[in-house]
Amino acid sequence: MFDTATALALLQYGDSAYPAGGFAFSWGIEGLAADGLLENARDLDDFVWEHLTLRWNSMDRVLLDRAYRAGDIAAIAAIDRDAEAATPSAPMREGSRRAGRALLGVSVRLGGALSVAYRTCLADAPHLGHLPVVQAVVYRDAGLAPQAAELVSGWTLVHGLVSAAVRLGVIGHVEAQRALQSARAVLAELLAEPMLPDALPSSFTPLIDIAVSRGKARPIRMFTT
Amino acid sequence: MTGVQKTKGARIAAARVGIGGPVGSGKTALVERLIPALLGRGIDLAVITNDLVTAEDAERIRRSGLIDPARVSAVEAGACPHTVIREDPTLNIEAADELERRFPGVELILLESGGDNLASTFSRDLTDFWMFVIDVAGGDDIPRKRGPGVIRCDLLVINKTDLAPHVGVDLARMHEQALAVRSNRPVLLTNCRKGEGIDAVVGMIERDVLFRA
Ligand SMILES: Nc1nc2c(ncn2[C@@H]2O[C@H](COP(=O)(O)OP(=O)(O)OP(=O)(O)O)[C@@H](O)[C@H]2O)c(=O)[nH]1
Ligand SMILES: [Mg+2]
Repeated sequence: MFDTATALALLQYGDSAYPAGGFAFSWGIEGLAADGLLENARDLDDFVWEHLTLRWNSMDRVLLDRAYRAGDIAAIAAIDRDAEAATPSAPMREGSRRAGRALLGVSVRLGGALSVAYRTCLADAPHLGHLPVVQAVVYRDAGLAPQAAELVSGWTLVHGLVSAAVRLGVIGHVEAQRALQSARAVLAELLAEPMLPDALPSSFTPLIDIAVSRGKARPIRMFTT
Repeated sequence: MTGVQKTKGARIAAARVGIGGPVGSGKTALVERLIPALLGRGIDLAVITNDLVTAEDAERIRRSGLIDPARVSAVEAGACPHTVIREDPTLNIEAADELERRFPGVELILLESGGDNLASTFSRDLTDFWMFVIDVAGGDDIPRKRGPGVIRCDLLVINKTDLAPHVGVDLARMHEQALAVRSNRPVLLTNCRKGEGIDAVVGMIERDVLFRA
């Protein structure tokens, strides 16, 4: 499916060490654990499944795909506005923008042309810069094809969720590898189904949304989301 | 030091100064002393904190009345205080860029790391200059342990000098050993409780970071 050069690029961009601030986001894992809803490896598998299937695949992936195919900066910004409008939870929106802007910042410093143009556009648009939209911009600059961009997007989410669970003490490092393995199977199945060109972004992950939304109210918090 | 950076529009970017060091060594206390001293010299200032699990330090500085609370940003470290200042300082860089956008005249951004251990160092892409704060009460053998933080920082600050007699530390010897392991690169002594030694730190920032005469 991917040639060696692309596979190597995937390893670089999909690496948890890629410096885009991913380690500071738990996307609900911290809140779910704090509320006793996430206690072991099996719970984690369930939430990773939920994240991938009911949010990433129907929302992030759709936005990423549309942004990837967008003709110009204005069209990308329009999709970014859709991302903003389609995310009811304010802390989730803020997290998505912070993660997106961090990723964009790295690409700008590496000289990505589209990234530089998009960052200029974001200077006067504080509500834009959502992660999936920025992923399209950055991975286009990186020369990744849409399928490769989708793969990195899904994988970095999985990695973020699982490593947050390790740092919260929910699972150990060996269990983490098992969690990644099951998540790979879920992701592979989703990616095998191509995106419909007219798909609209949607998600239904109420527990995760509530966990992220309550984040700011928690006195003890290690993660941005 | 990576020197002065340029950003879009050819505006000179603010100098970024990191403050790292073990838990409780007095990083926030130093920031609280530096703020009025730097503002008093007419330096346009902002602060970023990397709290471990709460926004405690950010809130403490915001409530201190020493600086406009809007000029204090908090960055969560996801339980990785090392990573957020070294391997992946992107969130701190974004926070600093954002402060520069909101306060175009800002000349200096102080960045307090979360309390960490002697191995923590700052990425050269994040800071132009960084100091490492250890304290007397942590033991006079700290410099001898040659942690990368102690050795590689641009300025080593030995804080809580007032506690030396209470913890049986020979301050002169600790200072001497710190200079020795650092090949005589700068080491300054402070007592943040009383504000002693702060002028020397400010002087160094003015001279070596802001290039003021
Ligand atoms: N006696 C004495 N106490 C000090 C001095 N500086 C700081 N302290 C005290 O040391 C304690 C820790 O100080 P902080 O400034 O919070 O230390 P910190 O390095 O910011 O701590 P973390 O951010 O939690 O790593 C506080 O109780 C301070 O009042 C000093 O020079 N002398
Ligand atoms: Mg502190």
